[in-house]
Amino acid sequence: MKHTRTAKGWKPSGAARARSKGERDFRALLDAAVDAIVVIDHQGTIEEFSLGAQRVFGYAADEMIGANVHVLMPEPHRSEHDGYLARYHATRKAHIIGIGREVVARRKDGSLFPCEIAIGQVVEEEPPRFVGFIRDITRRKEAEEQLRRSEAELRLAQELANLGNYVVHVDHAEPDYYSPQLFRILDIPLGSAHISRGDYYERWVHPADQARVIEAFSHLDSLGAPLDIEYQIVLQDGRLRHLHHIAQAVQDASGRVVKHVGTIHDVTDRRHAEDEARQLQERLTHFSRLSTMGEMAAGLAHEINQPLSAIATYAQACQRFLRQPEPDVEEVRAALEQINTQALRAGEVIRRLRNFVKNREVKREAVDCSRLLDDLRTLAETDARLHNIRLRIDAEEGLPTVYADPIQLQQVVLNLVRNAIDAMADAAEDQREVVLMTRRSADSEVEVTVADHGSGLAPEATEHLFNPFFTTKAGGTGLGLAISKSIVRAHGGRLWHTPNADSGARFHFTLPVSPPTQGNDE
Amino acid sequence: MKEVKPTVFVVDDDAAVRDSLRMLLKSVGLPVEVYESGQEFLDADRDDRPGCLVLDIRMPGMSGLELQVKLNERHSILPIIFITGHGDVPMAVEAMQAGAVDFIQKPFRDQDLLDRINQALDKDAGSRRMLAERNMIRKRLESLTPREREVLDLVVAGKANKVIAGDLNLSQRTVEIHRARVMEKMEAHSLAHLVRMVLEVERPED
Repeated sequence: MKHTRTAKGWKPSGAARARSKGERDFRALLDAAVDAIVVIDHQGTIEEFSLGAQRVFGYAADEMIGANVHVLMPEPHRSEHDGYLARYHATRKAHIIGIGREVVARRKDGSLFPCEIAIGQVVEEEPPRFVGFIRDITRRKEAEEQLRRSEAELRLAQELANLGNYVVHVDHAEPDYYSPQLFRILDIPLGSAHISRGDYYERWVHPADQARVIEAFSHLDSLGAPLDIEYQIVLQDGRLRHLHHIAQAVQDASGRVVKHVGTIHDVTDRRHAEDEARQLQERLTHFSRLSTMGEMAAGLAHEINQPLSAIATYAQACQRFLRQPEPDVEEVRAALEQINTQALRAGEVIRRLRNFVKNREVKREAVDCSRLLDDLRTLAETDARLHNIRLRIDAEEGLPTVYADPIQLQQVVLNLVRNAIDAMADAAEDQREVVLMTRRSADSEVEVTVADHGSGLAPEATEHLFNPFFTTKAGGTGLGLAISKSIVRAHGGRLWHTPNADSGARFHFTLPVSPPTQGNDE
Repeated sequence: MKEVKPTVFVVDDDAAVRDSLRMLLKSVGLPVEVYESGQEFLDADRDDRPGCLVLDIRMPGMSGLELQVKLNERHSILPIIFITGHGDVPMAVEAMQAGAVDFIQKPFRDQDLLDRINQALDKDAGSRRMLAERNMIRKRLESLTPREREVLDLVVAGKANKVIAGDLNLSQRTVEIHRARVMEKMEAHSLAHLVRMVLEVERPED
């Protein structure tokens, strides 16, 4: 082994050949070290500059041997370093020697980097010499920064999503973990101690939901079934929060459950948004009713016009009879009776119209199906007549009462009838019939069917049929079926469609029969 | 010719409107028959009777317009007065284009309706007179022998007896005799009258 690497390695302070074994060992050590090793004398002059140092700082050993070590430092240390040394010599009070710290160092190209530095003093030498070990910690710093950032991002994400997560070790092999947001959701100080299941049920879970939550957890424990449940908690100050809680068991290699990981999502705001959406939907229902009204206005004008023109004609006939020398009193009496009847008929149309349009709270009551159909008849027939279509009502006798909002149900039926009518715009004369059927379909259900002989449903239309704003009609809002479906659902029923036997479509919906106790409510 | 009194036929699905019209027409002494659907009226087979039809334009099943089409197919000449509601103007226009005599919006003043009915009845009477005349002319034409018919056609075509004799290979005298028979059978006062009668029935119809 020759020691001629003066340019790259260390500069022999004496003749290379004269080096002792100890010195050779020292230099080998110096070069083998990954960290930068720099030896300086008491004035800061560099005596040794290891391979590691050359790598880290970018200087060749030649450049640095004999130079002042402060070139490796950024300001203000660069200017101050000689002072530090002088102070040490004067006071022998170590600020860094034997202590080590993280500092910033300067490369040959002027760039700065974080490093860990440890400085030792060569023993029993006067004036003293110092050995510095410098470790570039750029990567570690970056990794730390990265970790810190992802943690901050996760925290922020959890905060934004109002999502907390936790890991609970079944046999307490490791400490449990609760994310900060979890504490915030539960409204307890950050880092509160272990929360036991029992505590959780007792202290947070809404009494009405406790049984459900306990059952879900027992399924998680006994069957390993993932827990996925929404429930309410009550905070210390009495506020209610809606949580969506998901958890699952994690097994070790042998299949033993070692921990539960879970997330708790505060969905209160979403729930509120859903409530708002529901209210909005009710307003929309009203709006759609109004627009249905607009479409029916012509038909209703006709409906009111009928009794009015009958009244006018009867009255005029009466006058003519009475002008005759021997008036036919019987005819006059019959006409007057009809005038009365027709006036009431017009009033009835207006009453139904007003009931239909009025915006109102949803009010469920026990509804007699046949009475509901009677009320519907005028409105539906008007619509049908307007389009030269027969409306056939086929109601099973003795239907049970249903528990429903009668006006909303009228809305659904009218909407289906209207769709059926629209579907038959081009149907042949003998086909122009809409059938409105009511049947008891199951013990606890009444099924209403609206059948037409129209153009039927295109397969691509059936897919989106119930989507809001989907429409196949030129002037359609695309809300009718979407609203109808949500109304039926809200009543605990279903709304679906089937092709009609020969042509056209059938829309069906079911309504649960009202419980017997509610049968006599009225 | 026996005189059949004209009848006002009312077709309206609304019982009250129908009945009030019946009563109004009765109060002015017009014979009236009421029907609740177009089909019922068609089935009654009364559309060849003198009178007029008061027809609701909107009805479930067969609409007033559809009934009008069916009556036209049957070559019915019954004048139709449509009863329309608000906003039915496009339908009324369609009805008028298909030959309706009039339409009236309800509710209406009784006198307005009665005036229209009277006009329609006059029109019907006129049409029927014309039809009767045409039928009479056809009957007279049918009473002609083939030879007389040949002579008639040539006379109407404006040919002189001499030309006709040449065309038909007859003596001019024979033509004169046929021609006199034609005038007699057709009860024509003059040549002009004869020509008018023939044109009246030979005018392309429909």
